[in-house]
Amino acid sequence: MIRVMDVHKSYTKEKETIKGVSFEVKKGEIFGLLGPNGAGKTTLMQMIATLMKPTSGIIVIDGLTADKDLLEIHKRIGFLTNEIKLDPMSTPNRLFDFFAELYDIPKEQLYQRRKESFERFGIGPFADKRINELSTGMKQKISIAISLIHNPPIIIFDEPTNGLDILTSKQVTDYLMDLKEQGHAIILSTHIFSVAEALCDEIAILVDGRIAAQGSVKELVDQTGAENFEKAFFKIYVDNHVE
Amino acid sequence: MRKIATVFKWEINKLFSSWKRTVTLFLLPAILLMLALNIFPLLINYMSTGSINKRPVTVVAAPASFRRYVEENVDARVFDYDFITYKEFNEMTDDKDSFRKQIRKGTLVCYFASGDAFKDFDEVVTAYYEEVSSGNRAAVSEATIYVGFDENSITSEARAEQFIEGVLDNYQDSLIDTLGGDYSVVGSSLFETDSFNPVTDFEDYRTVANTAAARVVPGVLLIMMYYCVYSLVSDMFASERDRGFMAKLLMTPVKPKHIYAGKILAINVIVTASTYVTMLLLFFSSWINRSNDAMSLLPFGMMLTPAELLIVLFSIPITVLLMTAVCISTVFQLERMQDITVNLQLPLVFFLGDFFLQMVRGTRPVTMEYFIPLHNTLALIAETFMAQNKAWHVIVIYLFNLGLALLVLRNAFRKEELK
Repeated sequence: MIRVMDVHKSYTKEKETIKGVSFEVKKGEIFGLLGPNGAGKTTLMQMIATLMKPTSGIIVIDGLTADKDLLEIHKRIGFLTNEIKLDPMSTPNRLFDFFAELYDIPKEQLYQRRKESFERFGIGPFADKRINELSTGMKQKISIAISLIHNPPIIIFDEPTNGLDILTSKQVTDYLMDLKEQGHAIILSTHIFSVAEALCDEIAILVDGRIAAQGSVKELVDQTGAENFEKAFFKIYVDNHVE
Repeated sequence: MRKIATVFKWEINKLFSSWKRTVTLFLLPAILLMLALNIFPLLINYMSTGSINKRPVTVVAAPASFRRYVEENVDARVFDYDFITYKEFNEMTDDKDSFRKQIRKGTLVCYFASGDAFKDFDEVVTAYYEEVSSGNRAAVSEATIYVGFDENSITSEARAEQFIEGVLDNYQDSLIDTLGGDYSVVGSSLFETDSFNPVTDFEDYRTVANTAAARVVPGVLLIMMYYCVYSLVSDMFASERDRGFMAKLLMTPVKPKHIYAGKILAINVIVTASTYVTMLLLFFSSWINRSNDAMSLLPFGMMLTPAELLIVLFSIPITVLLMTAVCISTVFQLERMQDITVNLQLPLVFFLGDFFLQMVRGTRPVTMEYFIPLHNTLALIAETFMAQNKAWHVIVIYLFNLGLALLVLRNAFRKEELK
């Protein structure tokens, strides 16, 4: 569903942030991107989400490319980053209505989607409260609900559990598992090893803008000969990081 | 178009979702400006004379011709008068300390001296014109008008100059008609307006008030418009990009230019409406100016003809569009919020400077000024208030600003797309 082929990105002439990254994500698969801060995870995800253009290389989403079918791709992608802060004076209901109009969701479908999302994340009692009156966890749950309002086959989540308490994190990870079972292709970036281990079918470890290693958790552990996944990650990082 | 309307509706609803936001954008700037316009002259007067209220002009031994002149001429009624006799004036000046105090507080004294203890001022002037009429070219009149004021106070000095130029000079010119007898060549031919009709009453004051308004109103409107545009562009573009909400919007299946167009339309409607509210309050501020003092920034009677009003009203959304284009272009060029805030505030310095220049300049704009973006709106509104605008000025300024706005927006969107 997603094919990233030899993608490069430079913000300045001197420095390349992404240096020839390639991978593929299939339907019903969760693909994890792991790496330290500044490795290029967010840049890579923003390029896949069409928010940024690669300097070179090709990204194909469900057979479509951004230069020709941008709006079609947008219909197929749900993108969430923990950096998104919703309008503080708005309410979940108003946000839901607004994005539903932008995605052209018919009223009957919208009613069903709202019911499902609000029930799953317990948003109902807060539906008419202002965003600035809600907790961080609730804001993140509303962000997720809005990102997936159009039920996209491809989901890109940039550190969705960052800053959340254990219970909310669990709700989010359970939801991702459900989405995977429903056949969605998911790209996920995270700092949390347990989340990566539990959710991801395949993981790419990004170091200094390159994929230093790629495979399932078991494959990565076997490749490095480490005791566990966390140790495998650090070994890969130390072996590939250039000072 | 439907998507543009959706984004537009969302932005408008956002503004009205909080009364604080609504008041901040619609009423607060207008109310603050009204207060500033009304308090500023009082403050200057207080700093200069130690008194908040402006004192009436004390007229000593006013002849009948002067009293009549004051009653018949609007320009003269810009001042309040306190008519006293020579005797009352002598009593007043007996207490020297008290008199000095009054002068320091801004009292102007206009003293009519006939030069002959047995004749009044008008008699002496009439006699002078009779002498001149009979061919005595060497005739001299000793009738004199003295004006006393506090030389150490700028306000008193300015007020005295205004009184001499605006009232006494014209009064003296009118004497040839009223007292000149045979010497009068032209004679007065006044058209009496219906003083019960409020429209004609306004018309009497209009020239004075509109000339004062031409110095104040354009600058005030431009500052107020830019303040609103800057706040809204900061919120709808810079802040939304900073908190990632813009990315969420750009990820929807809506063309980016439609999202931007919805936001720009919302900014234009909000700022135009807010500016119209300010204009209305400016007119009210002038119409309720009961004291109608000469130092007032908006004297009583400010009024535009329907055509003039339309010119001003149409110039506002076009100017707002250009301001929005400039602000959006700045936001798209910069990444960090603090850089954006500083760069968006810079034009405010330009508008403040332009406002103060307009306050002190006495000349009408030159052609080159019609091609200075945004300043040309100030020139157009000033000209309109002075009833000196020409059709080609209006068309050139409208088209120039509109064309420039669209060009700046197109370039900004193209650069943003390339990212």
